[in-house]
Amino acid sequence: MGFRDVLSPFTAWKHVIDTPVTIKNPIGREAAERYRGFHQNDVDKCIGCGSCEDICQNAAIDMVAFAEPKPGDSGLRPNIDYGRCCWCALCVDVCMTGSLTMSNEYTWVDSDPDAFRFTPGVDAKPWDDIEKGYQRAGERMLTGLARPEMVEMAPEARADNFDEIVAGYSREQAVLEADRCVECGLCVATCPAHMDIPDYIAAIREGDYDLGTQILYETNPFSEVCGRVCTHKCETVCAAAHEGEPIAIRWLKRHIIDNVSEERRLEIVGTPQVASSGRKVAVIGAGPAGLTTAYDLARSGHKVVVYEAKDQPGGMTRYGIPEYRLPYDALDRDINVIKAQGVEIKTGVRIGNDIALDKLKAENDAVVLAIGLHLGRSTRVPGSDGAGVEAAIDLLARVTAGEAVPVPEKVAVIGGGNVAMDIARTMGRLQMQKYGKVGVTVTALEDFDHFLADKEEVKESFEEQIEILDGRGPQEVVRFKSGKQKGMVKGLKTWKVVSIFDRDGRFAPQYDEGDEVVHEAEMVIEAIGQMADVSLLGAELTEALEWNRGRIAVDAEGRTSEAWLWAGGDAVRGPDVIHAVADGHRIAASVNVALMAGKEAGA
Amino acid sequence: MDMRELIERLTSRHKLGAPIFQRPDLTFVDLTDNDRLRALLVELRDIEGFTHLVLLTAVDWIEEGKFQLTYMLNNRAANQTLGLRVYLERKDPVEFTSIHDIWPTAETYQRELREMFGINFPGSPRVMDEFILEGWTDMPPYRRDFDTLAYSQQTYRDRPGRATNDPRDHMKSKMYPEG
Amino acid sequence: MFSFNPDRSQYPDVGPDGKLEVDLETGKYLKLWHGPNHPGITGNMSVEITVDGDEVVEGKTHVGYLHRGFEKLMERRTFIQVFPIVCRVCVPEPDFNEYCYAAAVEELAGIEVPEQAQWIRTLILEMGRFNSYMMAMGGIAGALGSGVIGQWMTYVRDLMLDRFEEMTGARIYHMFILPGGVRAGLPEGFAGRMEEVLRTAEKYLADVDKVLFTNAVFKKRTKGVGYIDPALFEPYGVTGPNARAGGVAKDLRKDAPYLVYDQLDFEVVTETASDIWARAMVRRRDIDVSISLIRQILAKMPTEGPVMTALPNVLHWKIPRGETYIKGESSRGEYGYYLVTDGSGYPRRVNVRGPSYTHAMALLEHLIPGTNISDIAALMVSLHTYPPEIER
Repeated sequence: MGFRDVLSPFTAWKHVIDTPVTIKNPIGREAAERYRGFHQNDVDKCIGCGSCEDICQNAAIDMVAFAEPKPGDSGLRPNIDYGRCCWCALCVDVCMTGSLTMSNEYTWVDSDPDAFRFTPGVDAKPWDDIEKGYQRAGERMLTGLARPEMVEMAPEARADNFDEIVAGYSREQAVLEADRCVECGLCVATCPAHMDIPDYIAAIREGDYDLGTQILYETNPFSEVCGRVCTHKCETVCAAAHEGEPIAIRWLKRHIIDNVSEERRLEIVGTPQVASSGRKVAVIGAGPAGLTTAYDLARSGHKVVVYEAKDQPGGMTRYGIPEYRLPYDALDRDINVIKAQGVEIKTGVRIGNDIALDKLKAENDAVVLAIGLHLGRSTRVPGSDGAGVEAAIDLLARVTAGEAVPVPEKVAVIGGGNVAMDIARTMGRLQMQKYGKVGVTVTALEDFDHFLADKEEVKESFEEQIEILDGRGPQEVVRFKSGKQKGMVKGLKTWKVVSIFDRDGRFAPQYDEGDEVVHEAEMVIEAIGQMADVSLLGAELTEALEWNRGRIAVDAEGRTSEAWLWAGGDAVRGPDVIHAVADGHRIAASVNVALMAGKEAGA
Repeated sequence: MDMRELIERLTSRHKLGAPIFQRPDLTFVDLTDNDRLRALLVELRDIEGFTHLVLLTAVDWIEEGKFQLTYMLNNRAANQTLGLRVYLERKDPVEFTSIHDIWPTAETYQRELREMFGINFPGSPRVMDEFILEGWTDMPPYRRDFDTLAYSQQTYRDRPGRATNDPRDHMKSKMYPEG
Repeated sequence: MFSFNPDRSQYPDVGPDGKLEVDLETGKYLKLWHGPNHPGITGNMSVEITVDGDEVVEGKTHVGYLHRGFEKLMERRTFIQVFPIVCRVCVPEPDFNEYCYAAAVEELAGIEVPEQAQWIRTLILEMGRFNSYMMAMGGIAGALGSGVIGQWMTYVRDLMLDRFEEMTGARIYHMFILPGGVRAGLPEGFAGRMEEVLRTAEKYLADVDKVLFTNAVFKKRTKGVGYIDPALFEPYGVTGPNARAGGVAKDLRKDAPYLVYDQLDFEVVTETASDIWARAMVRRRDIDVSISLIRQILAKMPTEGPVMTALPNVLHWKIPRGETYIKGESSRGEYGYYLVTDGSGYPRRVNVRGPSYTHAMALLEHLIPGTNISDIAALMVSLHTYPPEIER
């Protein structure tokens, strides 16, 4: 220790003339660009899924009503209590749409503590438009973006047979996919049957397939069917779809049912546990709507007989959907569980021909009409009458029934919906078997941007060498005018579509007549829609019933204008399996109420 | 230092369970004979170079009726950490051997375990003195059956005016109340 | 210079329970509360001291003023929800909690962390160490009456907080090191602004050398005072600068390299005297190491590529049963997280091993008897303890 140790400390005095380093007024100091300050929420982008609330470890977020719910948007928005918020921004990181962000504003003085509890984006704040602050840097990192790839049969392997294409998820894949679900439940409102989607997905994560099956059966006795061919509207409103792929809800449903044997399923679902009501119900049509009605009513203790005109039950799911999408044994497994409830299915019985509708009315307490759409519509273009022109729906039914159908080398299909794809791919397979090559041309009115068929269907059709021409309107089925083949189909003449709808949104296609093509074909298949065969009603009842644009009019519960008669399914709602199931539940509930009230439904 | 070899060597005398080689520098092993604890710790400290007591804490396996005590030891020269696990019956009073004389710093850990888990170490200095809690009368709070949420709900009041909605239920009530 | 040689023959006896028999009735002893609100106390803790004249015969550390039951709270939170809490276990150097917790979760859940994130994590830890040392320098100077050093260090620390703010989006609790990586890469022009801070720091540290370390009073008050016998290091779990001041080159950055420390060039700073001076000096010199490391990291680190690995859905993230211990060299010594998982979506147990736990409790209580009351503050501060990591 020396002299230096005494003098050196005095050098501190040099700082006495330094400019102060403190900030005079910290209120208003701008924070760094990334600073996590008060929240902002783009309320138009927000879907009210509540993931922010779920992740908040401080319970600082409440979901409060902002607007009426609509499909894919709960109408709720996060309200934040800044007495609890710790500014960790996990809510921003987890946000499924990227609507929730944080501004870099952090200085705010108010004497009212309740002011620090507000709904960002709804309660206007000075920082609402500040661009600086915390935003998620890239895509969501906390909840998974992409689905596992589904294993499918290669196009070459499936082109000449009707084996099921989709393999279904493995346990590993299913867990990965189930893991992505944030359990917001926005999908439940959109599902026509309001299936408890997040719950059965949770059951997959837990590996509890018995529970999963139980949950499925609470809302849908057609899980084999819907797990394969459901139109999955739920996936269009999935929170995960805003960034990345929606949860593969349909495949997960199938995964549950794939993992529970038929015997186990019967044990889980059980049989009706109520005393017999002594009431009888006749259901006409053994499709999803009719059988769902029958299932529910049987479990409520009523005696149900289902009358089916075709040789096998299943309706459109059997006779309209090709086997490579929905194998018949899968459908049979669903139907067997329904039969186990004591539902009697009389197949090959056509009401109107074999049994009069009046007889059913007289012998039952209620009659439910679920007859589906089994008549194909025709384009009625010149040449469409006569041999060589077929209805898609009719051909598909004949293939299912095992009947021989004509398989020419060249086929033209009119239509751009899923039925058009079904018949094109079915004919393609038959052609492969017969000729070793595919010769199907699909002509659709719509362009690919507005296509009616599912994307997967179109993709798979292309893979199977089906030619699909979009934006082409049918003008004539061209027939040979002379020679040995006189009168036989030579091809399909189409024009380029300019527009499909007029200014008022009415169907009025406009064509470019200069762009005319004749697609060479020995057979033309029309797949432009179906209608119900209502001949069974008879003139008197047809007259008595109320109608709505060619369909039997029903109320919200499925009642027709006749007190003893309910109607539902495709014939009333248009084609869709899950709608038919939902309809079946509605009708069953309504019939059940009517029966239990002791009403003389048949009187 | 070869941890496999070490564990093998120790197992012959001290009744160890199957080791878990968590990382090249981190091993966990159960001591199945609790009476061997002190002998084993002294051997590890004095012969095997595990001179540093990293931590001593408990894990409550309430479902299995056990408390796990973890004695985390470190051999700095070999860069090896050994988590020695001992299991105690989860039946009051829970008591175990004190090691404050092997590592004086263990006295603090043992005081905390007594207070927070209700595991006593008779003979450990000031083990009955309050450590963190003052005037605590409830059960030892770090036990799994002490419910912090229930405690805070009984002790504090929720801020009024807060209510939340579940998106799924809310949509049902507004869009399809009958379904 | 006068010397003080008290008569220690009349110290209280040790009773059968190992406690001193202090009979306050005699008027010979006085009990004093040193803290919890005292400039010579680092954070909220207090030492109950018994004095005989100005000699301290016994000291008992009292903690609990900051107890929030973090470890228990974590058991009620999902793995991602624990992330915002952990930093609060240590206010001045919160990032060790974030790193240790994240690394523990990553290990048990089998998550890989991108290369760039490892560098950014290292950078953050060194920035945190720098800040922690700033407080330590201010503290030790303050405890011995040189308040101006504390003001300078607070200013320099504040400049570093600005860098934290622009990088992490927050000043104190950064909540930036998530399991899986870090939240973002470095902002544009960060290295340049960091260099300015480091230069300012070096300027002020040069002043500290002149005003504090070349200072007769400071030397007189710290040299030979608060000696810790290196033989006590292992029995009392002494790690970090407190051990390095006694000639033991304990530094986990070298002993058990984590993150990218094996790719950085630095020496472990040691002193030999093991007194307050030596501990202050080790910290002072370790600041230079931190500054050098920060420069090295910014010069060497990759700036391309991801900084975060996508996690499984964190809303129902479960981690298989297992346990691990992750440690790192904090500014005070070995900082570690012992994480036990049970296969559920919540940690079964999280135990935070803060270096202050051993330093401020058993060790401090062991060192206190026999010191002069005026040295207690310097002794405590020289151990550089942060109470919240004791009580968690």
